[in-house]
Amino acid sequence: MVERALLYVERTPGMAKTAAWTLNLARALSCRVFAVSVLGGSTIPHRVPSEPARRARDASASDTEERAWELLYEIEDDAFGQDVRISLLLEQGDPLQRILNLSANYDIELIIASGDTRLPVAELVRQTTRPVLFVK
Amino acid sequence: MAKISELLPRSAILLNLKSREKFDVIHELVEPLLSTGAITDASEFVSAIVHRENMESTGVGLGVAIPHARTKAVAHIVLAFARSEGGVDFSSLDGKPSHLIFLIAAPEEQKTEYIMTLARLSKLLRRDEVRVGLNKARTPDDVLTIVQQYE
Repeated sequence: MVERALLYVERTPGMAKTAAWTLNLARALSCRVFAVSVLGGSTIPHRVPSEPARRARDASASDTEERAWELLYEIEDDAFGQDVRISLLLEQGDPLQRILNLSANYDIELIIASGDTRLPVAELVRQTTRPVLFVK
Repeated sequence: MAKISELLPRSAILLNLKSREKFDVIHELVEPLLSTGAITDASEFVSAIVHRENMESTGVGLGVAIPHARTKAVAHIVLAFARSEGGVDFSSLDGKPSHLIFLIAAPEEQKTEYIMTLARLSKLLRRDEVRVGLNKARTPDDVLTIVQQYE
């Protein structure tokens, strides 16, 4: 029996279907979902950016973060409507490493991602000791 | 789309929260919203919030909790804010008590605005400067100024 599943949340065409499928599974198994979105790692610029460039970069990062929260809260709202327990996590860094770390920290028993995920699939499967499901 | 500061009535900013238990805190936060007319049925709204709290943690870590609900008992989106010196256990994933608590109430039919408000508030509260400012605020106007400054 799976009690904790991690859903990797990202903006891909297959995400809505993957989230719906995950919530159906979670409801059937009475399992808790950890919905995780990961913002790209902080990058060190090669040179000090100009003020307009820095502002543009900050605005873009801010928009990306807001969109990530929106996606997480949409899934949370759907989960609530189906009586599925869910926790939201917005992380920063390398997505693969964050997923591996969170899986260990929260005793995740199943990792779920969309079939069109941008994750390095082969690396995830190679490095994790947990089952991984890709929803197509 | 209204700004966070526009959705937060001055009268719903509580800087010295008395309650230490999360459901008492929710009652304390709902109380000032009743006079604004935003919440039309306090009992139904509190039930929705309690149901959600029993389903999932709204403690988002970093000393912050965002209890929220979308129900027919709400006329328009509104926020309330409370600060707790001792902290309140909102079952955050990081295991730490919440000191900054924002409650969001939204009408059933305003899903998009509700999601966007949650997202914008979550983004805002991840900023260290905002949390530090809210922890130091002395008056409701200070709180509104900080929110306006960073949103």
